[in-house]
Amino acid sequence: MRLLTLASRHRVVIILGLTLVISALVVPGYFSASTLGLGLDRAATIGLIAIGLTVLLISGQIDLSGGAVFALAGIVSVILQREIGILPAVIAGILVGTLAGAINGALVVGLKVNSLVLTLATMLIFRSLAHWITNSQPVTGTDIMLSLALAKIYLDVFTIRSALFIILIVLLHFWLTRTIPGRNVFAVGSNPAAAKESGIASDRVVFLGFVFAGTLAGLAGVLQSLVTNTGSPVFGSELTVAVIAAVVVGGTRLEGGRGSALGTLGGVLTIGSLTIAMEFQSVPAYVQQVVSGLILILLVVLDRAVTTKGRAPGTRPALIRDNPITQGGKT
Amino acid sequence: MTDATMEVSGVTRNDRFTRGGRLVDALSKAGLAFAILAVLLYGSFVSPAFFTTGNLLNVLTSMSIVGIVVVGMTFVLVVGGLADLSVPATIACGAILSLGLQPLIGPLPAFVLAVGLAGLIGLLNGVLVGYVGINPIIATLGIGTIGLGIVQAAVGGVIVYGSNPASAEFAKGRLFGIPVVVLIFLAIALIGHFVLSRSVWGRWTLATGGNYKAAEASAVPVQAVKAGAFVITALASGISGGLLGLTLQSARPLIGAGYEFSAITAVVVGGVSIIGGFGSVPRAIAGLIFVQLLTNVMVLDGVRTPIQGFVLGILIVGAVGMDAALRKRGVA
Repeated sequence: MRLLTLASRHRVVIILGLTLVISALVVPGYFSASTLGLGLDRAATIGLIAIGLTVLLISGQIDLSGGAVFALAGIVSVILQREIGILPAVIAGILVGTLAGAINGALVVGLKVNSLVLTLATMLIFRSLAHWITNSQPVTGTDIMLSLALAKIYLDVFTIRSALFIILIVLLHFWLTRTIPGRNVFAVGSNPAAAKESGIASDRVVFLGFVFAGTLAGLAGVLQSLVTNTGSPVFGSELTVAVIAAVVVGGTRLEGGRGSALGTLGGVLTIGSLTIAMEFQSVPAYVQQVVSGLILILLVVLDRAVTTKGRAPGTRPALIRDNPITQGGKT
Repeated sequence: MTDATMEVSGVTRNDRFTRGGRLVDALSKAGLAFAILAVLLYGSFVSPAFFTTGNLLNVLTSMSIVGIVVVGMTFVLVVGGLADLSVPATIACGAILSLGLQPLIGPLPAFVLAVGLAGLIGLLNGVLVGYVGINPIIATLGIGTIGLGIVQAAVGGVIVYGSNPASAEFAKGRLFGIPVVVLIFLAIALIGHFVLSRSVWGRWTLATGGNYKAAEASAVPVQAVKAGAFVITALASGISGGLLGLTLQSARPLIGAGYEFSAITAVVVGGVSIIGGFGSVPRAIAGLIFVQLLTNVMVLDGVRTPIQGFVLGILIVGAVGMDAALRKRGVA
């Protein structure tokens, strides 16, 4: 059991290492700079959403609507390009994400309902809005040159998008470990009642967590629509499982209170390198889905195996029972 | 859970057992009946096509396919399992296999095998949720993704067509003027209602959802009961998918997309608590009737499909919010 605990603690490194080794064996030239750059760029989309989700999961909440917000923000920014110019459209798209996050946060905190169920409903709402606005057709932007500029690879490895992801996740790491608001997030996630007693405004932390997650999903969506010069209402529908898997691989617990930014970085890199390796082998998309689903389930089960020593399994459906948001404030 | 609610209301009581006050209960039932009536009236006013036998029969048939899933989903919500997101996968499994296996083993064995394999997906969900203790939404999301991927891989990601006209005739046919699909739905609903409200298993389900620890202490096999709800839902979705495949005579891998939301909306709109411990099959079906009539009126009104999804989402938020508000006050 101790070995298992140890493996679980350093699992990001183990899993990422295994993934890279296997990928390198299967895909010739895997470690060339261009392949890695491609993988990193691919990972950045998942990564930006995962950054927001990491904070939310640590605070004991979850957001399933990220993929839908991703699509909606991209569409809005592409459509507005003609009307108000590219830069204002980009900002508008990101703000759509912020607004979506604020709606999620306000509903979760205000109605005091389970965030899983609530964001499931808002996911449906945002996705419908995306179909509504576009009439279920993809929309195209005005400036194809900008897409090319964004897709350009700098220093052999980084695109603007992947550089942004790396910078943000490093910032998040320092914010979570070195600042008081960052530590408050952990406090809220691990024991909401105690956090509230010690003067932390739990509701506000949770609300801002949703706003943050929404903004980042919006940012990811806007960047994706700029790079592809397209906004589509079906974008991002396969992201939900991949993003959750990436964050969970990184050691962040679904139960709240545990997690790290660097872990998420490792998780995102793992999912990214897996995706690239499978694409090089022309593995069909649905098999890739099976793989991310399997990773997610296996790791969540592993978490259970390690943490439920002495506790009867099933006694604590996370995010419901020990959660002030669903309990109407346990003070 | 009980501790928390007691502290919130400041009074020693358990909302799970006081919420069924007779007056409030009657009012909440009447509220839904009133809403259904209002939709019926509104529909008859805006569209001449609404209140016709043909249209209502169509509503009834499409309602039956979702309805079979709703019966299972009721168990999941009542037992405190939040929701089953693997429904699209189990429906696809039922539809694709019951058509795809027809040439190999004949229509009836194909149907049975398809439903059985769907049940296997449910068993996986159930073990993960009930025994391992994983969050139901994460577990069913993951298992659903895996299941759908495997089903797609099995048929190579293409559309499967039916090859047995007789079975299609049966599924599309009528018995005493009522579509067979509707009859099957009614039978499953009756069985579901009987099991949930009259049987030991039903009482265990309610007890587990109402207070897990108390149920466990009272020697209720809580883990099995929780797992069972997911198996029931998967079997129901498998049957629903099989019938869907037989009526359409074709099945694509994404055939079940959206059914999970339709089913969840119906159950929560019917007033079944998302936190568990409270609810019944007739309530869920009343919710289903309301949602289906509303959708039908929207279609006849020329409202585009995305807006219907939008309305469904808002209905879920509203119903869940109302449930939370009532629970907090401890009245209903």
